[in-house]
Amino acid sequence: MEGMESMGMHSQSFKTLRHLDNLLNTRGEILNMVKVNDVEVPEGLYYTEDYSWVKIEGEKARVGVTDYAQKQLREIVYAELPSEGDTIKQKEPYGTVESVKAVSDLIAPLSGKIEQVNGEVSNSPELLNEDPYEKGWLLVIAPDNLDELKSIMDHAKAVEWHKSL
Amino acid sequence: MSHEKAKTHLQGFHAEHGKLVAFADFQMPIWYNGIISEHLAVRNSVGIFDVTHMGRVLVSGKDSERFLNYVITNDVSTLQPLSAQYSVMCNENGGIIDDFVLSKLEENRFLMVYNSANRTKNFSWLTKHAARFQVEIEDVSENMAMFAVQGPKAEQTLNEVSSRDLTEIKRFKCGWTEIAGLDVFLTRTGYTGEDGFEVFVPNTTVSKPKSAVKVWNTILGAGEKFDIEPCGLGARDTLRLEAGMCLYGNDIDEKTTPLEARIIFVVKLHKADFLGREALVKQKAEGVKRKRVGLKMLEPGIPRAGSEVLLGGRRIGNVTSGTFSPLLKIGVAMAYVEPDHAKPEETVDVKIRNKSVKAKTVRFPLYDTERYGYSRKK
Repeated sequence: MEGMESMGMHSQSFKTLRHLDNLLNTRGEILNMVKVNDVEVPEGLYYTEDYSWVKIEGEKARVGVTDYAQKQLREIVYAELPSEGDTIKQKEPYGTVESVKAVSDLIAPLSGKIEQVNGEVSNSPELLNEDPYEKGWLLVIAPDNLDELKSIMDHAKAVEWHKSL
Repeated sequence: MSHEKAKTHLQGFHAEHGKLVAFADFQMPIWYNGIISEHLAVRNSVGIFDVTHMGRVLVSGKDSERFLNYVITNDVSTLQPLSAQYSVMCNENGGIIDDFVLSKLEENRFLMVYNSANRTKNFSWLTKHAARFQVEIEDVSENMAMFAVQGPKAEQTLNEVSSRDLTEIKRFKCGWTEIAGLDVFLTRTGYTGEDGFEVFVPNTTVSKPKSAVKVWNTILGAGEKFDIEPCGLGARDTLRLEAGMCLYGNDIDEKTTPLEARIIFVVKLHKADFLGREALVKQKAEGVKRKRVGLKMLEPGIPRAGSEVLLGGRRIGNVTSGTFSPLLKIGVAMAYVEPDHAKPEETVDVKIRNKSVKAKTVRFPLYDTERYGYSRKK
């Protein structure tokens, strides 16, 4: 992972700015940033071993890819996302993200109906690298069954899991 | 295959600064700072690649020219001392055994630099066909490090630290110089489409890497003022694809002929008999069934090796290499299609994960040659 650090000064100062940004999430709550081996694992989210995160926002769930995933993929240059109104099923692929060299499936962390798709990411896939937990969100869904959360990792488990990567 | 991957002299540097992957029998960096920034450093300024993993053999002896003219397709007799040529060797069916650069060091002494993945195969192929010639074939891969310094600022970078003025060495010429007090051999060649040199550091092994490391660091230091970037295999692949150069195993193989790959300029059918000649003469007369073309995507999507190329819903070929072009910022590819559709500016579809995405056929290189590449306007 050392290679990631050599991205240079601009990425460092960018991180600092983002950190300030992250103090307030979209609902105005304090979102505590936890770092595991230089990978950001913010509190208040659920995680899957397919590198997705889920944020519960009232009756909706916001979905994205983790900081670990974007660091592994490095320069994300293309994202293929489903459409609003489509349904996704937990553990099944719903789209792809591509770096210069590799194609990776996006695996649904929960089942539900897609209410919003982040069109900004299709136009500027680099948002997934720059801000995976905020501007780089992918979908907002109406989850079918929040019991599915029990089968994915809460923050404490996710921190332990990230330590093992 | 659980055996440990071979390492190069620069293993320490790569492990510290890069992301390592297994490639052929080697552990090599796929990137350091990222494929896009490394790629653009080479197109706009200068980058340095460790290409020590490549195979290198010396061919010498009184029959060396005659032997080489028999096993390879290009005409070795036209090669002057301290000159290099791109070439291939073919099997009896005209299929490509490998592609490589051949440098003539002096009369009856040649250096052949070929693909890492084909090292064992090529060496046996060469020795098998050498039996009836007075020729010596020596694998010198292990006793040498090799770096590629590529980009419009490559010459200036190396001139900072070279004992001789490298403007004297023109494209596809070679020569010796001294860098950091060490004798190195240079060829003005590369695999990026840009001007640049390949630097051979002799008499150094992985267990005695000191001089290789010294030359690498010296060049990196000299390039600092040009924002030189160490470049990995990722950028090497995207650069060669934009330039239209074949990758063995993807775009050419033993089932592909130089006619199909449209590298017929390395095949000199008029010269005396050589391996594959008969098959190639026949194929030339009969015509080929597929031809290599470039593709530029007209819609979002990145073609990948294996993607089907369609015309009006009918399959007319396949992508053999595809990527996102860091320079053009679109998906690009190399593909083989039916010859009737191999002319430029044909609109076709590429099937990407069950979706038909529009593309057009184009000539290589994929970039504007007035602005990029070795023949750019200064």
